[in-house]
Amino acid sequence: MDPTDLIHRAQQGDRAAFEALYRAHVGRVYALCLRLTADAAQAEERTQDAFVRAWERLATFRGESAFSSWLYRLTVNEVLLGRRAEHRREQRIVTADDPAALERPREPAAGLVLDLERAVAALPSGAREVFVLHDVEGYRHEEIARLTGIAVGTSKAQLFRARRLLREALNR
Amino acid sequence: MMCPHMEAKLNEYVDGALAAPDRASLEAHLAECAGCRAAVTELRSLSAATATLPRSIEPARDLWTGIAGRIGKRETGYGKRFSRGALAAAAVLVIALGVYRLLSPFTAQYRPAEGGVGWAAVQADVDRATEELSRILAAERDRLRPETVALLERNLAVIDAAIAESRAALARDPANAELHQLFSAAARQKVELLRWAARAAAS
Repeated sequence: MDPTDLIHRAQQGDRAAFEALYRAHVGRVYALCLRLTADAAQAEERTQDAFVRAWERLATFRGESAFSSWLYRLTVNEVLLGRRAEHRREQRIVTADDPAALERPREPAAGLVLDLERAVAALPSGAREVFVLHDVEGYRHEEIARLTGIAVGTSKAQLFRARRLLREALNR
Repeated sequence: MMCPHMEAKLNEYVDGALAAPDRASLEAHLAECAGCRAAVTELRSLSAATATLPRSIEPARDLWTGIAGRIGKRETGYGKRFSRGALAAAAVLVIALGVYRLLSPFTAQYRPAEGGVGWAAVQADVDRATEELSRILAAERDRLRPETVALLERNLAVIDAAIAESRAALARDPANAELHQLFSAAARQKVELLRWAARAAAS
């Protein structure tokens, strides 16, 4: 079926059309969520959140950009919002004498088989997000700064740090 | 090993982000520095490997059921746009009414509640309305820029602390008109901020 028609029908409240859009895009959305969160359970949750939010926001999609670009940007927003909420929860739990725990790399998620995927998943969250957005998804530093609320210079510094850590990990 | 101060330049070089004069200068350096040449090779290999990552990964389970359950209870944006806007307007009206009551001569000169109407009812009005407006804002907040959200949250936290303090003081000294004014001022600030944020998110 024509994607434009699917989008139009979904905008009118047609859930079957929206499911077809979900089936067409879930792999890309989940990959994005998985790489940004490095956690399969969180990625599933964020993927669902993103599609629910997309359903709610369908009226705002005017076709100025590709539907996929609109959806992926919305997904990034959803993940980053989820991360901020998660971060606030962690801050309440982590003891004050161990602030470094927030920046510690997470254990790589199960199912990420490639060395590079594992190395990306093991990056500290800030470096990982910028690497995924810039090098994997092709966002510019200015866009990343807008999306994440960091400075352009910080985005660059995080990217270079991520690449350095990845090179070290892959050279081991 | 690359020269320690060259990391940013080498990355920008690989990204094609260096201006021509800087690029020429860097290439002259690379001709003489094996460590930086090796780093450039590694960065290019990393970039090539990154390009091979799969764009799509299927989740281990079908997530549609959970999504369908959630969207079944919600309208698409077309139906919701007006209703949410109307809801926001209603909340603003209610909260404005609450503040009007807070600032009115009757409430500024506190009198004990009569038949449930009085300061406690006014505070309840404000609480209910701010909660409603905050809920709407929470649903719409991703339309605001992250730095705006961060600033908004910081300001709300400050105002909430002021409201909590004046409320606690009022609990100890309920007849104190100055405390009523303090509470009113903080509530008014919160109303203004929430009203602005709701409008910004809806625009």
